[in-house]
Amino acid sequence: MTKYKVTITNRDNVEYEVDAKRPILDELRNQGVDLPYGCKYGGCITCAAKLTSGDVDQKRQVALNNWQLDNGYVILCVARAKSDITLEIGTESHYKLYRNPFLEPLKSYQLKADIASKEDI
Amino acid sequence: MNKVCCGPGYASPIEAINAPREKLLYTIAIYTGTGIQKPDYLATVDVDPDSPTYSQVIHRLEMPGIGDELHHMGWNACSSCHDDSSMSRKYLILPGVRSNNLHIVDTATDPKAPRLYKVIEGAEIKSKADLSGPHTVHCLGSEIIISFLGNAKGEAPGGYLQLDKEFNIIGRWENSMGGIKFGYDFWYQPRHNVMVSSEWAAPNTFMPGFDLEEVGHLKYGRELHFWDFEKREPVESFYLGEDGLVPLEVKFHHNPDSTHGFCGAALSTNVIHWWKNSDGKWQWEKIIDIENEMHPEWPIPLPGVMSAILVSMDDKYLYLNNWLHGDMRQYDISDPHNPVLTGQVYMGGLLGKSPKVNGVEVAGGPQMFQLSLDGKRLYVTTSLFSTWDNQFYPDIREKGGVMLQIDCDPENGGMKVNPNFMINFGKEPNGPSRCHEARYPGGDCTSDIWL
Repeated sequence: MTKYKVTITNRDNVEYEVDAKRPILDELRNQGVDLPYGCKYGGCITCAAKLTSGDVDQKRQVALNNWQLDNGYVILCVARAKSDITLEIGTESHYKLYRNPFLEPLKSYQLKADIASKEDI
Repeated sequence: MNKVCCGPGYASPIEAINAPREKLLYTIAIYTGTGIQKPDYLATVDVDPDSPTYSQVIHRLEMPGIGDELHHMGWNACSSCHDDSSMSRKYLILPGVRSNNLHIVDTATDPKAPRLYKVIEGAEIKSKADLSGPHTVHCLGSEIIISFLGNAKGEAPGGYLQLDKEFNIIGRWENSMGGIKFGYDFWYQPRHNVMVSSEWAAPNTFMPGFDLEEVGHLKYGRELHFWDFEKREPVESFYLGEDGLVPLEVKFHHNPDSTHGFCGAALSTNVIHWWKNSDGKWQWEKIIDIENEMHPEWPIPLPGVMSAILVSMDDKYLYLNNWLHGDMRQYDISDPHNPVLTGQVYMGGLLGKSPKVNGVEVAGGPQMFQLSLDGKRLYVTTSLFSTWDNQFYPDIREKGGVMLQIDCDPENGGMKVNPNFMINFGKEPNGPSRCHEARYPGGDCTSDIWL
């Protein structure tokens, strides 16, 4: 069983070990980390956290657009660790998750993957 | 002669108008998406001006888990069961949009302190009916149908879940979704064998937040659907185009003989009116068009975002909100083809026209509202949906939502904020929460339907 280390920078750099095959949300909650969540299938963004180092597999997520992905957001209810990782968790990590579309409209390459244009167009 | 009857609700809209005034009101309040790790809850609000706890939350029923995002509610029974003495308006159904759980709450045993009766788990609904993203609840005689906006994976168009009166899952209500692309709200008018349904978007689209570009990419709806209610399948759809972007709430007249109904197209910020003409054909037209407004510092004109509409029990007035502009409006729709603006008040909004109401800074804008049966008191809340609030009104995290009450003049028209009523959900014991839909124990203007 492959295990990786998760460091949570906005919780005094506390460290946890997670199973690489299981969603990070479940792994952390089982160890007593109080995390927000909603749909638990990768669709609703409530559990988003900011990945500041390392790598995750989150191909099941359907909530994030390219702008949010570029800002490092990961959907913990479906993401699995692929290396040791560092996270900021909770809504205090959401400062680049929400954007007012009338104030700062997204560019076409920043949309969700299925409708985004290529960046160089 | 009027039949003496002991089922729930009222024999007619007129009887509902003459019912005793509401003394309690229920509203949901959320912590989902706010940063506070507490369950969403059902708040009981004292709306009796003679009570010492008037204009206060007097009870809070927490849901069993976090992350539901309670949103809309519905009764187990309404005036459509008025002839059935075995039924009573006892249970309020509280769907969790994100968790998919349905909470059945007993409000009758102690109306001031509702208690949880049963939870239908989201996972069971996914496995038995392949549905997620519950929204509108209506009762159908002794059974209940609930619109769901997606399948178990959160993809449109979803469908309708049917429950029996003991809250067991019967399965999918509809026989076919036809070519419908999205689901949202619905209302039915049994004497005309019709149901009308509207379109928001797939849960995977609207739950993470709103993006204007996704409307252009047809990720949001722009059609209304007319159903053969008995055959449980759609028979006719109207493409509303630019006039009907994101058609949300649908309301028929309360008069069960009427074919007139209305839909608020949220992003176009228009009211669409439909009716059946003398040839028996359904027609539609745009009757209200709220212009976009420029925010002084923003590049894109701001639509009102009409997320809700409501028709008074006497079918004389239509109420609507402009969540981003910040105003509530009242229109006289005595002639449904030619509405007349008769009242308007501002509360919050992004244009800065009324940042403070009754001494409280309002984060958000007028959003969800419930009118008293007699048409005199309109209760208004300010939060739309956690992720959308977070995009448009980020300060609602600290300030929470509010509930205000507008005095409405049902004789001559007109609206004004009641200075004695204000519930500041920013001061809740567990921290700022956000209130949304409201219901009265005795039935309300957004539930009761007559057969």
